[in-house]
Amino acid sequence: QHFRGRKNRCYKLAVRSVRRAFVKSTKARREKKRFLRALWITRIEAASLEHGLKYPAFISDLLKSQVELNRKMIADLAIYEPKTFKSLAALAQRRRQEGFLAALGDGKEPEGIFSRIVHHY
Amino acid sequence: VAKTSLTSPPWPEVKLPDPVEEAKYHAEVVQKVNKMIATGQYGRLFAVVHFASKQWKITSEDLIMMDNVLEAECGDRIRMEKVLLVGADDFTLIGRPLLGKDLVRVEATVIEKTESWPKINMRFWKRHNYQRKKIIVNPQTVLRINTIEIFPCLS
Repeated sequence: QHFRGRKNRCYKLAVRSVRRAFVKSTKARREKKRFLRALWITRIEAASLEHGLKYPAFISDLLKSQVELNRKMIADLAIYEPKTFKSLAALAQRRRQEGFLAALGDGKEPEGIFSRIVHHY
Repeated sequence: VAKTSLTSPPWPEVKLPDPVEEAKYHAEVVQKVNKMIATGQYGRLFAVVHFASKQWKITSEDLIMMDNVLEAECGDRIRMEKVLLVGADDFTLIGRPLLGKDLVRVEATVIEKTESWPKINMRFWKRHNYQRKKIIVNPQTVLRINTIEIFPCLS
């Protein structure tokens, strides 16, 4: 706030508030990284929801298909390069479906197990 | 076997397209993109480059500043490897994770080697008579990206 009141005129008060300002700026420099990462994550989440994907699914599928873009880049691409982001979302969706098919396996029942329905009366 | 809640998986069943037809479609697309690159039908190219432990989205005639020292003199041309993504208006080439060196070429020149503005690092604890003040000056380098070129050697 540019040192409101007597903090911008009187030496003693100014010394204290300038010291606090320095300390706050050093701590903020470390917090800035966390804050920016959260911002990128919310942006990527919004963009991927527009394409019908959720953020955890999107990120996990991108990593599994060996695309190592970090969140800053994906957020910038989503803002300035919508077509590229759409292709990334399609890639993630395809990898997701392949993962589902791989998880299902053959579709047969395991051996030695029988299933029947129990009726409660 | 009777149908229970666990017979079918909770996700909707999706069928993947035929692998043979898919391979044909992929080959067609790759040929089209190769032709486009060879005839030069792209406008401005952008690339995502991994440099100085950061990822940058760069185009031609771009300025980049990094917070470290490069062992190159001012005016040296540098070729950047580790390209993650290249794109134009109609197509993008996504690397897994990197693109080949015979596909993309990114040229840059070192313009400036300066120091950052003096940042103040201060620690202070109340009522304990403890304060430390340190002025940190980081060396910085400024690069200008000259060109990004792609060659039609897709397969």
